[in-house]
Amino acid sequence: MTDASFDSATLEVLWTRLVSIVDEAAAALVRTSFSTVVRDSHDFSCVITDAAGRSLVQATDSIPSFIGTLPRTIRHFLDEFPAETLQPGDVLITNDIWMGTGHLPDISVGKPLFYKGKIVGFAGSTAHAPDIGGKIRSPEPREVFEEGLQIPIMKVIRAGEPDETFFNLLRKNVRAPDEVVGDLWAQITALDLMDNRIDTFMREYGLDTLDDLATEIQSRSERAMRAAITALPDGIYENTISTDGLTEPLDLKVTLTIDGDEVMADFAGSAPQVDKAINCAMCYTYAMTAYAVKCAAAPNLPNNDGSIRPIKAEAPEGCILNPQFPASGGSRALIGHFVPSLIFGALAKVVPDKIMAGAGSPLWCINQSGVTESGAPFAKLFFFNGGMGGTNQSDGQSTLSWPSNISTTPIEVIEQLAPLRVHHRTLRPDSGGAGEFRGGLGQEVKFESTSLTNTAVAFLAERTRVAAPGIAGGEDGAKGELRINDQLVDPKQQHIVKTGDTITMRTPGGGGYGKPGDRDADAIAQDQAEGKIAE
Amino acid sequence: MDQTHALGIDIGGTFTDLVVYDRATGRIAKGKELTTPDDPSRGVLTALEKLLEGGVAPESLYRIVHATTLFTNALIERKGARTGLITTKGFRDVLEIGRERKYELYDIHIAMPKPLASRDLRLEVTERMAPDGSEITPLDEGELLQQVDALRAAGAESVAIVFLHAYANPAHEDAALAAIAKKHPDLIVTASHDVAPEIREYDRTSTTVTNAYVKPLAHIYVDRLVDKTAALGIGAPYFMMLSNGGLTHIAEAKRSPVQLLESGPAAGALVAAYFGSKAGVDNVLAFDMGGTTAKLALVDEGEPHVDYHFEAAREKRFAEGSGLPLNISAIKLIEIGAGGGSIAHIDDMELLKVGPQSAGSEPGPVCYGRGGSAPTVTDADLLLGFLNADYFAGGSMKIDRDAAQQAMQPLADRSGLSVVDVARGIYDVVNENMASAARVHIAEQGKDPRQYTLLATGGAGPVHAYYVAKKLGVRRLICPLAAGVASALGLLIAPARIDRVVTIASSLEQMDWAKLEAAYRELEEDAAKVIEETGFDAGKARITRLADMRYIGQGFEVVTTLPDGPYDASAAQSLLDAFEDTYRRTFSRTPPDVNAEIINIRVSLRADVPGESVGFKATGDTSDGAGAPHTRPVRFPEFDDYVDTAVYDRAGLKAGERFDGPAVIEENESTLIVGPGATIEVDPDGNLLVALPEDDS
Repeated sequence: MTDASFDSATLEVLWTRLVSIVDEAAAALVRTSFSTVVRDSHDFSCVITDAAGRSLVQATDSIPSFIGTLPRTIRHFLDEFPAETLQPGDVLITNDIWMGTGHLPDISVGKPLFYKGKIVGFAGSTAHAPDIGGKIRSPEPREVFEEGLQIPIMKVIRAGEPDETFFNLLRKNVRAPDEVVGDLWAQITALDLMDNRIDTFMREYGLDTLDDLATEIQSRSERAMRAAITALPDGIYENTISTDGLTEPLDLKVTLTIDGDEVMADFAGSAPQVDKAINCAMCYTYAMTAYAVKCAAAPNLPNNDGSIRPIKAEAPEGCILNPQFPASGGSRALIGHFVPSLIFGALAKVVPDKIMAGAGSPLWCINQSGVTESGAPFAKLFFFNGGMGGTNQSDGQSTLSWPSNISTTPIEVIEQLAPLRVHHRTLRPDSGGAGEFRGGLGQEVKFESTSLTNTAVAFLAERTRVAAPGIAGGEDGAKGELRINDQLVDPKQQHIVKTGDTITMRTPGGGGYGKPGDRDADAIAQDQAEGKIAE
Repeated sequence: MDQTHALGIDIGGTFTDLVVYDRATGRIAKGKELTTPDDPSRGVLTALEKLLEGGVAPESLYRIVHATTLFTNALIERKGARTGLITTKGFRDVLEIGRERKYELYDIHIAMPKPLASRDLRLEVTERMAPDGSEITPLDEGELLQQVDALRAAGAESVAIVFLHAYANPAHEDAALAAIAKKHPDLIVTASHDVAPEIREYDRTSTTVTNAYVKPLAHIYVDRLVDKTAALGIGAPYFMMLSNGGLTHIAEAKRSPVQLLESGPAAGALVAAYFGSKAGVDNVLAFDMGGTTAKLALVDEGEPHVDYHFEAAREKRFAEGSGLPLNISAIKLIEIGAGGGSIAHIDDMELLKVGPQSAGSEPGPVCYGRGGSAPTVTDADLLLGFLNADYFAGGSMKIDRDAAQQAMQPLADRSGLSVVDVARGIYDVVNENMASAARVHIAEQGKDPRQYTLLATGGAGPVHAYYVAKKLGVRRLICPLAAGVASALGLLIAPARIDRVVTIASSLEQMDWAKLEAAYRELEEDAAKVIEETGFDAGKARITRLADMRYIGQGFEVVTTLPDGPYDASAAQSLLDAFEDTYRRTFSRTPPDVNAEIINIRVSLRADVPGESVGFKATGDTSDGAGAPHTRPVRFPEFDDYVDTAVYDRAGLKAGERFDGPAVIEENESTLIVGPGATIEVDPDGNLLVALPEDDS
C-alpha cells in the first residue's frame, strides 16, 4: 500500500517514459561522438535529475562510477550557479577532480531544464575526453596542475551562445582538439535532446513540475534498498587488502557496518594520499561503494538518488580514498577499482552467495602519444580487461570489464588509428584462480611501435604484485605483467618507445570460488580440451 | 497448363504456413501444419500434399517463395554444425574475448554468449595484412592445410576463414579458399570477406563463424526440400527470403545462409507495407503483438527500414549486447517482451510491472483455465470487456472470467487499487512499454510518429493498437484482413532485393572519384547478376546507392542514401548534402568545422515481382451488412466507468460501412478496440481503417 499521488500503474508509465528519454540521449551521444573512448569503450553517462540535482533516471549504458558522481556534479553546478542565475539554453561545464569524477579527462556538462519559465530539473552527461593536455595520463604527476587543463564550473553555453573563448582555450590545450571538441558537442547534443523530450513529456502528461514524480521515484527506490539492506545480517565487518601501490604496496581498509536498513563503509586505516596520480577522490570512492553494495544487495533496483541514500561512506581527509587539493588523480581507477573488491571481501564472511571472488581489475589501458608523420600531435587510449571472479553459481567471465564497463577497441581499428602493430591477443591459460567455480581468464596483448619517431607510452596496470583473491576456499588469479622488449617494467612510469620496440600486457585473472577439489569433472575436462588450464 | 499459381512457404517456430495465390483469379488457398523441427521439409510436404489434393495442380505452380526460422532456431538451441575457425596467427581468441563489456552492470553471475566455435576448434595460420591492404607476411599454405586436416580430424563439419584486415585485401582469404577447395573439395568453407567485408574483427569473425555454423544445415535442408517437391511433380523455381526482405536464389541462400536468419519477420514487415500501400498510406508503423512478444517496424514510402547490423540468439532476451553480433542487412524491427501472455506483478518498489515473463500459450493466461495462475495482459483485457468471454477464439474456447478476477486480487490488495483499476493499469503499462520502445526507435531514425499509420496484426495487436497509437500521437490505424497468414502472404509480394557492401575509407576531399564510380559499378554488376539468376529482369531493377558516412574522427557511420550516379568530382557537394541532411534529421545538429568521409559504399538493387500486380481477394466477405450490433459493458480509459458499447461481428461488415467509436469489432483471431471519438470505415478489401480523434491536449 502506498500513500502517494501516483498509483502503481501511472508511476510505472511515467517512469518508463523517463528512462526511454535518457536512453535515447545516450544513443545519440554514442552515435555522434568522435573518440573511441566514447563510441567503442562507452566511457560516459547521461542522467536526468530533479530541480535540486538529485538523480531521477540514469541511462542504461552509463558506467558505475559516473552513475555515482554525475548527480553530485550537478549539485555543485547549482551551488556555483543558483537557479536564479540560470536561463534557458545555458550549459554548465567542469572537469574539477573533487566536484567531477576524480580526474581531469572526464568532462561533465549540465543543462537546466526549463518548463513554463521554471527550472524543473537538469540534464547531465559525463564523457571521458581522449586527451586533456598536461602530462600524458600516467600515475607520474605529483599535483593536479601537471595533469592538464582544469575547467572551473562555468557556462560553456550562455542562453544558447557558445563561449568561443573557452572553445579556443580548450582546442589549444589538448592533443586531439577535433576529437575532444567533437565529443563535447556530442554531449551537448544529448543534453538538447533530453531538454526537448522532457518538454514534450510534461506537456503530454499535464505536469507543471517534476517534484512530486521525483519524490515518488526516489522514495520508492529508497524503501526497496532499505528492505534489501535489512535482509543482510547486521554487524561490523572489516577487510584489508594490498594493492601494488608504488615502490611499496598500499593498503586499503574498510570497516563495513550494517545496521538495520543502512550500510556505512568507513575507510579509516587506509594508506594516506600519495604524490602520484593514483589518489581516488571521495566522489569516486563513494560511487564505487554504492556500486558494490547494490551488486550484493539489490542488483535489479533502478539507479536514482533514492536507491543510494541508505548507503554511506566516509574516509579521513588526506586518505588515499579522500585526497585533498592539490593531489593528482589521473589514474584514480588504480585505487578506486579495488573498492568493490574490498567491500566484497568484508561481506565474504557473512554472505558469500551474494558476492564474487576478486576480479582481475582495475582496468588496464595503454596510452600512446607522439606526433604523426605529418607532424600533428596525437594521443590514443586503448583499454583491456582481466577476468572476473568466480561466484557460488558460475565461473568468472574471461576478459570482461568490472567494476567499470569499458569495452576494448578492435585490433583493426587500433592499427588503423595508431602507429602500433598488434602481434597477438590471446586468452592467458591458467590465469583464472582454481576453484569449484574458477576465475575468468586474463589476456595477453603484444604491440610493436611502428611510429618512425619516438612515442611516449603510459599505462593503467595493476595487480602485478597482488593477485585477485579467491574466496570460500578458491585460489587466487594470476598476477598481471607489463613488459617492454620482454623486460618487466614499472607500470606506474611513463616510457619512451622507438620503432620496433614491443610492449606486452598480461591482464590479471579473476579469483576462484570454492574448493578446487569440488569442481565438476566435466568442467575440468572442457577447460583442458580448450587449453584454458594445463593438462 | 497455365502456370498461374505462386506458392509461399513460411516455417515458423510453431506453425508452417503455406499460401497458394492464383494470379488469374486473385484467390488464395491456405495450409497450416505444425512445424516438424527434426526435418522441417516434412511439415511442408504434408501441407503441400493437402493443397494439391484440394485442386492445385503441381505443374500450375510457377514460383515458390520460402522463409524459415530454421537457422535462427539452430543458433538459439545451439544445434548447428561442429564448426572450426582458421584465423591469423595470434588471434584465435578474438571470438571469445569479444567486446569486454557487460550487458548488465550489477549482475555478478553474468553469462556472456558462448562462442559457436570452441577454443580447441580455433586454429591459427601464419599470414598478415596491414590496415591499408598491403601484405606484411605471406600466407603459409602448408601450415593452412595442416590446420584444416587437424580440424577435420577433430570432427569439424564446417570451417570459417577470418584473416585480419581481409576487408582491405582479401587475397589471403581467396588463396586459402582455393587451396582448401583443391585438397578438400567436399568441405564446407566460409571466408569473412565473402559474408562481411567490414572492419572490426570481432563482428566480422562472429558473422563468418555464424554462417559456417548454419551452412551445412542449409545445404541439407534446402536440397531435401527441393528434391521432395520435385518428386511431387513441381518444377517451379525456389526463391528464398532474406532478412532484408529481398529474395534470392537457392545457390546464394546456400552460400550465405546467415542472411536468411530473420526471413520470417521480414516477410511480416513486407505484408504490412503491402496493406499500407493498398490503403493509400506511405508511412506505416507495423505493429505485431502475439502471445509473448510485440514487434514494431517502420515502413517509409512503402519500404521497410533496413539495418546493417543485427544481434542474434541473445543470452538474455531483449538485452542488447547479450547476443551474437552479425554484419547482415536485416529489416529493422524491435522486439519487446509484451504480449497477451505477459505476466503482471508488483515489484520491490510497489510498481506495477508487465512482462517480459510470459505465460505463453501453455499454460497461458489464467482465464484460459489451463493451469495458469499468474495474471496476464489477456486476463486484464477480458476484465475490461475488450474480449468476449462467451465467444473467445470464435467460440472454440471456454473462458473463466472469475478465475481472472481472482488472480488479480493479490495485485489489488498490494497496490490498494480495485481489481478493475489493476486491470486498467496492466492495459496502460503494457501499452506504454510498447509505445516507449517505439518512441525511442522512431526517434533514432529521426522520424516523427505523427506521420505514421499504425498497422495492427497478431492475436493481441488489434486489442492494444488503438491506445498505443494514441500514446504515440499516431492519427490513423489499419486492421487488415487475413492477418493470420500475413507472413506467408508477404513472401508472394516480395521484390528481389540484393544488397552489396565494400569498405573504401576515404575522405570526400581526397576521394578518387573514378575509383569510387568503378567500385559502385562493380557492386551493381555483381548484384545485377544475382537478380538475373533469380529470374527477375535486372534491366528493370531499381538501383539505390548508399554510403556509410561520418565526420572524420567519428567511429559510427550514418547510412546515407545518395543521389543517383555516375559520380565525378562535381558530385562531392551533393554527397555531402545528402549526408548532412541525414545527420541533421537523426541528431538535430551537425558539429562545426569537420570534414566528412565515406567508410563503406553500398548498393541495393530491387526488382518487383514480374508480370503482374498482385491483388488479393478478400475472403469471407459475403454478407449483406452488419445489421444491428449487440452491446456489452466495456471499460474504456476515457470513461470513469463501464459503458455499454456496440460490438460488431467483423465477418458481417460490408465494404464502405462507417461507424463511430467507442466500438468493439470481433473476429475469430482477434478483436479490434476503438475508443470514443474515433471513426471506423471498412475499405473495399475488407480492411478496417480507423481515424483517431484530434488530440485536444
